[in-house]
Amino acid sequence: MVLNYSQPLEISNLTSWLDSTLRGNLSEFWALLIEFVLVAVVLLTAYAVIALILIYAERKITAFFQARYGPNRVGKWGLLQSVADMVKILLKEIVRINRSDRFLFFAAPFFMIIASMLTFGAIAFGKGLHAIDFNIGVLYVTAVSSLGIIGVLLAGWSSNNKYSMIGAMRSGAQFVSYELSAGFALMTIVVLAGTMQFSTMIEGQRYCWNIFNGHISSIIAFVIYLISGHAETNRGPFDLPEAESELTAGYHTEYSGLQFGFYYLAEYLNMFIIASIATTVFLGGYMPIQVHGWDGFNQIMAYIPTYVWFFGKTAVLIFLSLWVRWSFPRLRIDQLLNLEWKYLLPINLVNLLLMVILVLTGFTLTGLFPGLF
Amino acid sequence: MSSVSQYFSGLFTGIKSLMLGMSVTWKELWTKKVTQQYPENRGTLVISDRFRAELTMPHDENNEHACTACGICQMNCPNGTITVNSKMIETEDGKKKKILDTYQWDLGMCTFCNLCVLTCPSDAIKFENTFENAVFTRSKLMQQLNHEGSKLREKKKEPLIPKGE
Amino acid sequence: MENIKKLILNTVKEAVIEEKQKLTVTVAYDKLHQLAKALYDNVELPFDVLVYLIGMDRGEELGVNYLLCSSKDLSKEIVLKTGTADRENPLLYSVTDLYETAHYNEREVFALLGIRFINNPDMRKFFLNADWVGYPLRKDYDPNPELNPVSIESKEIVDIAPRVMETADGKLVEDTVNIFGDDDYIINIGPQHPSTHGVMHFRTALDGEIVKKIDVHSGYIHRGIEKLSESLTYPQILHFTDRLDYLSANINRHGLCMAVEKAAEIEVPERAQYIRVIMDELTRIDSHLLAWSAMTNDLGATTAFIYGMREREIILDIFDKTCGGRLIINQNVIGGVMFDIYSEFQKDVKAFIPYMREKLKEYDRFFSHNVIALGRMIHIGKMSKEAAISYAVTGPAGRGSGWSCDIRKHIPYSLYNKVEFKEIIRTEGDSYARYLNRLDEIEESLHIIEQLIDNIPDGDVCAKVKPIIRLPEGEYYQRVEAAKGEFGVYIESRGEKNPYRLKFRSPSMALVSAMPLICKGEKISDFIGIGGSMDYVIPDIDR
Repeated sequence: MVLNYSQPLEISNLTSWLDSTLRGNLSEFWALLIEFVLVAVVLLTAYAVIALILIYAERKITAFFQARYGPNRVGKWGLLQSVADMVKILLKEIVRINRSDRFLFFAAPFFMIIASMLTFGAIAFGKGLHAIDFNIGVLYVTAVSSLGIIGVLLAGWSSNNKYSMIGAMRSGAQFVSYELSAGFALMTIVVLAGTMQFSTMIEGQRYCWNIFNGHISSIIAFVIYLISGHAETNRGPFDLPEAESELTAGYHTEYSGLQFGFYYLAEYLNMFIIASIATTVFLGGYMPIQVHGWDGFNQIMAYIPTYVWFFGKTAVLIFLSLWVRWSFPRLRIDQLLNLEWKYLLPINLVNLLLMVILVLTGFTLTGLFPGLF
Repeated sequence: MSSVSQYFSGLFTGIKSLMLGMSVTWKELWTKKVTQQYPENRGTLVISDRFRAELTMPHDENNEHACTACGICQMNCPNGTITVNSKMIETEDGKKKKILDTYQWDLGMCTFCNLCVLTCPSDAIKFENTFENAVFTRSKLMQQLNHEGSKLREKKKEPLIPKGE
Repeated sequence: MENIKKLILNTVKEAVIEEKQKLTVTVAYDKLHQLAKALYDNVELPFDVLVYLIGMDRGEELGVNYLLCSSKDLSKEIVLKTGTADRENPLLYSVTDLYETAHYNEREVFALLGIRFINNPDMRKFFLNADWVGYPLRKDYDPNPELNPVSIESKEIVDIAPRVMETADGKLVEDTVNIFGDDDYIINIGPQHPSTHGVMHFRTALDGEIVKKIDVHSGYIHRGIEKLSESLTYPQILHFTDRLDYLSANINRHGLCMAVEKAAEIEVPERAQYIRVIMDELTRIDSHLLAWSAMTNDLGATTAFIYGMREREIILDIFDKTCGGRLIINQNVIGGVMFDIYSEFQKDVKAFIPYMREKLKEYDRFFSHNVIALGRMIHIGKMSKEAAISYAVTGPAGRGSGWSCDIRKHIPYSLYNKVEFKEIIRTEGDSYARYLNRLDEIEESLHIIEQLIDNIPDGDVCAKVKPIIRLPEGEYYQRVEAAKGEFGVYIESRGEKNPYRLKFRSPSMALVSAMPLICKGEKISDFIGIGGSMDYVIPDIDR
């Protein structure tokens, strides 16, 4: 995990100093406990802050796509708009719905938010900024992120609202289908990288990102992953479960206040999670752009801290997702399923096979030009 | 066309159409934004002269208006927006004369159809483009158009509202 | 038309034929259906379009006027009149089996005048609650608010429809019919819903995502304009027309002005005609732009919505500068127009034309060929030509089904016989045809404006009109092509300064009445999209 260049701005310097001080002064149990708490607090804060930034960014970028200015009243350039929105959501009354299934109704938002938080924890934000580094990281991420759908289905079922119900059922069908594609796309890269661990995967992409390494096959997997990831987060043009013009707000029609806030937050965070997994798996994660043999260049690149690289790459993908979202009309449920089952899934399966062949025959870039990378 | 080539041509024309759509939004991303920045742009805001926002009764520098309290505007108003209250006074030469007491206009009821202005025989009222009419209570929407202590002006003078408006 | 007269007399011997503004035939109530059927089946010139169905309180009797015309040539018109002297339990025969559009109109007549129609399959009140006391359009209606107090309780919607059916042996039976089955999964789309384009209530029975049946429930914002008009003078009535279909405000008003001008024999100055037509076409572009935007929004493309609104803003600015209104523009008055054009008008309009053309291309690239959009429009919401005629669906929607129904071509009014333009007709009858029709009609409207804008003659903008207009006794019809279809005005005058009966034919009502037909079997998402492609405006229905 150690790069050979000096990286003065890295946070890992701080974290390792903190770790050694704690361990030097306290017993291992206490040191670990304090570290766990610290990590949890930092993650939760980051979760909220990233969501707020994303909400602001989305509103602003959307506005610019639509020949508007977007929020520009609260703070300079409307920077505090999402903070104001958050305060508003916190202050709002939580409405109780007649004849709803009270327990499930209240439990549903937690499923949603916990699922996205569990995934959030496994993301490598930068060197040393990686809370859990499973050796089955990819598997873990796909597994826990799919818990969120339970929240959506429960919300639809328990709201005692027909719009919610239709929205939730759509969401179920959509999620089950697209989870498949997303999983296969990731598997394609696992074949290429030969590991499921995020840290090893990133390290392996030092000189050649996976998207280039597996060239044609990787690019296809990348596009498919973006599409299905987009669909999994229920964002336009795949926002059928919410489908504002059809189902008013879909599965969260009956939610208000903080409960709605949970859904709102989770939606934005899921967008970030999808983008960051794509970054990690396809675009080299937090790894700076490095060229084999160009030491000067590599040193300059390494001066830029790894977390900046990570957030930069993720931001590009998020922008792409926004661009797509605000360009297209919404799909109908049968179009949605067609796209998955008639196009994405077969292409994906062929692609997986192709990748296996590429790897076995050594037709990957690193296989073809071993000297360059 | 065989179904295989149909499958692929469908796929590619689809992708092409989507790219085309994205190119349009990309271009629009950089175009000039059109949102009006009200109220910051109040100084530069141009409201067309003919915009009907508020009924007014122009008064000249001697606090005189042209309303003879004939009540034609009140009769013509489809919604009962206008109430012309007149009073009888005795002029110096002993004649009885009807003059305007209060001219009430209810902004909340008005549909801005301009019939009152069109039918007014003495061109005493007109619509102004002062559009900031929001108030907090309904009662404030009732406006008295003639000023305190105003009088009817004599006929000979220049009309208060220039012709052609 | 001599053949038609013969046909009428052959069918119903006692029919009274009068040559008024239109050929008017009065028959007894039990002969009307027979006569309508004969006219409908006339091979040479079938009278298969029911343009108006006007319920009337004629004083002694309650009656209905029908204006029929032929789908082949809209200018061939016949007025049928019938009535019944029974004011307690008035019964007339329905023509719903011939003209589907009669269904809602007859329900409206029932609500407002209390006439029930034999053989109408669903005789619930339209617009009004079942428990409304009195029939508002009757002359002896008691408007006392205590009879119909404002309720803050929600009222149950009647699901069991009463009706009067005639059995094979000629007996009348009152029975009921259930609108929905017992275990139907019904969702309410509206009255408060983002995509009903107003306060419209569709109760939709679903089978999964598929629409099984739609029950239209309207009247949430009914304002009783027709009743109000009966106590107002003609210039005062004008301001209501802007509030019917507010997107075709200028065209509606043009229609009413023409009806009054024709009746009072007022000559409209040439300059006013030019201004009227240019403003009409700008209004049409405005309306079609909004329709385009709203439809894309219904399909989930919010960005396109904003682009459409941006372009529309330019037209609104022109309106604003011309006549001081943006939506409710109050431009036409009896005898001409209220305001002359402003000095920069020509320049502004001429700058707008090339700009709009460029934007039309952009719309094309952005949305018209988008693969998702195509999938959501092509073969969706199919309406056959026969259905369009039967439901009297006019405007871009009717022409999307291959029915040439442009009043500007068939019965040219104002300057429309002097300008050159194409009537856009497509035969597919699906959402996409209606969608493309609108965009093409924008282009045609630009073309019309181009021909007129440089040739506006000098002169007055308004004829001299008496301060109090009294129309001579008679019935006056005027049909114009509004943005959403045919808009009609019917005035019955008894020589007073206010009309005895005024009726507006709203294009949107026909569009909505066709919705249950064309949405059946489509997905719920497409129901929204079809609604967008039909482009109805609710205040036009809830007059």
